[in-house]
Amino acid sequence: MSIRHGLLALLSSGPRYGYQLRVEFEASTGATWPLNIGQVYTTLSRMERDGLVTPGGDDEQGRAVYEITDAGRRELTEWYATPVGQADRPRDELVIKVAMAVAAQDVDVAAVILAQRMATMRTLQELTRAKRAGSEGAAQRLVIDSMIFKAEAEQRWLDHCEAVLKEKSA
Amino acid sequence: MTVVSLRDVARQHGEVHALKGVSLDVARGELVAVMGPSGSGKSTLLNLAGGLDRPTSGSVVIEGADLAAVKDLAALRRRSVGYVFQDLNLIPSLTAAENVMLPRELDGVRAGQAREEAEAALEEVGAGQVAGRFPEELSGGQRQRVAIARALTGERRLLLADEPTGALDTATGDGILRLLRERCDAGAAVLLVTHEPRYAAWADRVVYLRDGVIADATAVRLESAR
Repeated sequence: MSIRHGLLALLSSGPRYGYQLRVEFEASTGATWPLNIGQVYTTLSRMERDGLVTPGGDDEQGRAVYEITDAGRRELTEWYATPVGQADRPRDELVIKVAMAVAAQDVDVAAVILAQRMATMRTLQELTRAKRAGSEGAAQRLVIDSMIFKAEAEQRWLDHCEAVLKEKSA
Repeated sequence: MTVVSLRDVARQHGEVHALKGVSLDVARGELVAVMGPSGSGKSTLLNLAGGLDRPTSGSVVIEGADLAAVKDLAALRRRSVGYVFQDLNLIPSLTAAENVMLPRELDGVRAGQAREEAEAALEEVGAGQVAGRFPEELSGGQRQRVAIARALTGERRLLLADEPTGALDTATGDGILRLLRERCDAGAAVLLVTHEPRYAAWADRVVYLRDGVIADATAVRLESAR
């Protein structure tokens, strides 16, 4: 996930100061990607270096405000227009773990799968509780839904692993 | 208050050990989901919990009645247990309200009262506006709402649901789980069999069956539960 593009998206609707960006970023992603304020300032200064944002002076309370530049708007438009590639995502540790466990032969793969299944199910339960409780807008709800679909895909894959391994051992 | 309690329950079908010593309680206000691969004993568990079948060994107690001591299982089921299945099974020639009334009329409740109860039950599941329609005039989600209303009319507090989201899209399926959850919060006990993790995740507890035993179970952390 690109923090840079997330911040540009927020700045595209008007100048903002650092703390405000952090709060709005977390609000629009359903608080699923907590940002620390240091990340916000580091990202802002890199984007300033790259000409994507520009300091817009201080607001009435003396807070440094940033504005998006034309180059920043072009970058944002391009981001929205570019699909996310599978290869851009980090390697999945679980997939590697299960593959290693199967290859190792002396590892109880079923136990690895069951432990993961229960952990992911707990995560799913918590996400579902968040969704139930959620009275926020559609953006947050869809972020939670996305995480639910991902956890669900993982569970299905674990089912599949179990079935394939059972078939092989039978 | 425990609505259904299974203790060391086993069920054999001939040589096949469908269930081998399962203990499980479902209390009022609780939604418990059962998952597991096909052949793991999910349906057997549901049938035993609903008094559709008797265990080979162990005990099943539904609202205080031990199945071993109950002569008339059908009467116990009518009084205590409601069912929702995948493609249920509303009677096509009856309206939604008439479908919901039917089990109550079979219980000997007068038609007028049964109709009032049915309309209230439909109202509670958000299907009040379709009371006069026939099943074929309803969407899949509305049909399941009617089936849930029917399962919970009268004094029934135990609802057994077998893949109730069957062919529904995920948004409609989520709506059905939200409804089951609300019925739980209003005092029902729900035992749900599903192979879909996203729906199991609405439960307070997810029980995972494998080869006729409980392989593991999750509970939502207590401090965050209800």
